[in-house]
Amino acid sequence: MKVRSDILRVYQSVHIWTGIISGMVLFIGFYAGSLTMFKETINQWITPPSHNLPVASALDYNQLIAKATEQHDKARQGFTLYFEQVQKPPMQWYEQGTDRGLNLDGIVQQASLTDHNELITQQVKPSALADLVDELHRTAGIPGTLGHEGLGEYILGIASVLYFLALVSGVIFLLPTLVKSLFSFRQNKTASRFWLDSHNAVGILSLPFHIVISLTVIVFAFHDQFYHGLEEIVYGEQPMFSRPAPAKIEYSYTNLPQVEDIQAIAKTIAPDYQFSEMAYLNLNTPRATVRLGAYNPNELMRGPVTDYIFIQPYTGTILSSTLNPADEGIWVRLVASFFALHFGSYGGELGRWVYFFLGIMGAFLFYSGNLLWLEKRRNKKTQQQTKNVRWLANATVGICLGSMLAVAVTFVSAKWISLFASQINFAYMWVYYLVFFAAVIGAFIYGAAKSAVWILNLLALACLALPIISLLGIIFPQSGIWPSIHLTTIGLELVALSLAGLFAFLARKTKQRYQSGEQNSIWFNTQAAG
Amino acid sequence: MQNNKIQPDWWSKSLAGSILGLTLAFALSGCFAWFGPGGITADSKVQFNMWIISPIWMLVLSFCFLFRSGKQAWLVLGCANLIFYSILYLFR
Repeated sequence: MKVRSDILRVYQSVHIWTGIISGMVLFIGFYAGSLTMFKETINQWITPPSHNLPVASALDYNQLIAKATEQHDKARQGFTLYFEQVQKPPMQWYEQGTDRGLNLDGIVQQASLTDHNELITQQVKPSALADLVDELHRTAGIPGTLGHEGLGEYILGIASVLYFLALVSGVIFLLPTLVKSLFSFRQNKTASRFWLDSHNAVGILSLPFHIVISLTVIVFAFHDQFYHGLEEIVYGEQPMFSRPAPAKIEYSYTNLPQVEDIQAIAKTIAPDYQFSEMAYLNLNTPRATVRLGAYNPNELMRGPVTDYIFIQPYTGTILSSTLNPADEGIWVRLVASFFALHFGSYGGELGRWVYFFLGIMGAFLFYSGNLLWLEKRRNKKTQQQTKNVRWLANATVGICLGSMLAVAVTFVSAKWISLFASQINFAYMWVYYLVFFAAVIGAFIYGAAKSAVWILNLLALACLALPIISLLGIIFPQSGIWPSIHLTTIGLELVALSLAGLFAFLARKTKQRYQSGEQNSIWFNTQAAG
Repeated sequence: MQNNKIQPDWWSKSLAGSILGLTLAFALSGCFAWFGPGGITADSKVQFNMWIISPIWMLVLSFCFLFRSGKQAWLVLGCANLIFYSILYLFR
């Protein structure tokens, strides 16, 4: 396809600058986002077996609620029921903190019934490891808040605007050579040609995914501003949210209907769904709500894992849901599917894996983009490269690879920390930021070439350590380290094992380039040529 | 031919696309809210209206570099704003 050369030039500039500015934070957002596809698995992996209460063979949830609310004040305000979920108690509530957002020092009370219908409870401090990965995904690890949104979320929102520009401009300036170059991996040409070809192929082939992600992230970051604008400009006197204010009646947990009755109400709009959890919220206020997580393997799920149905338990009315099949539910269903497209929750387990790889490929896209920029600006005549080139190379290696190393080391330390530390979640954050800044500082002191080899080798070691720690737990049970015994958590460690292989391979390649690659390059050992 | 070449005008075009693109997105979303299916009172439609702002805004921003100059970008997008805000405020 022919495109005028002046247009191509303009969009080439747009692509290069938007990509360079937004690439590194997006890299972190993407690889961490890939990990959040398996948030539940991470939760299971880091939950020690001592957090599992014995459960009666035929558990009566209504009796459990009655006994727990009778003996525990906090349970009267709200609690969550889990139905036959791996490593989750049948009932739990927060003694301290809530389950909304990131909760680093929450205390959870778990409750169950014995075979003789006696209430057993235990207090645990849940590990927020998976939530911290999620936080890293949403903020790229940038701390601080602005209003009631994280500063990092706004920065990722702005990065997403640039990212959308980079997508459009990238496609435009690829158009003339698109058909010719899409599947041609010129491996036997130069290395930079290979990077360029794979950058283009990955970008074009996963374009729909990238468009969806960039647009949804802009909404996640700026929805408050958008709603405010709509209120001022469009709605004016019209109410935006037509839901009537709840009647000012104080309810009491003692009037709660039976679990089966609430489920029966939900079944009227979701007959083929199973319920995985029921969260009872604000039980003694006018806003009393039960949120049911509804799952059907044959349907598109619109929440991260399940669809949701909200029911006022005392009056029995359905407040809202993400799956209302009636005509007036069209808007909620549409909006819920936008969320689903970001969360990748519509394709079950297979869909999760597809999103995992799309996320990793996205991270590759940003990393290779930076490498291409560096290659283009490389001075091919001398060993000494310009300051800009060296700076971006150091930053790319330090920030991108350093962040991955920091997550890997946090995972390696996670089980040990929960044995020895009381504030486990703060300890995780310390480990992450210490390793991350050490990697960034190291990259600027020793240069991109040398640090890349080091960080990749350490990454391989850290990933390899995860299954080894499990083996240690089997050999030395008295150490307190619990091995992974469930299929999903073993899967997590097998993934870590294959990542170890990948990182070791990349480290070897980088080392070869460092020792015997092109000499006039930041990737070459500067001391050796001296 | 020289005159037909598009000028980069980075700042001018980027600002036009960011500011007028966003206001245009609000106007178009507003027209959809009032005159689109279900009208302004449809339950929960506001969420959908909010969601369509970002794609409209982003499309305007990414294609505004096709304008011949920054001045033309401000002119055309300004007129488009005028038209859709008139429709929104006259007929709602």
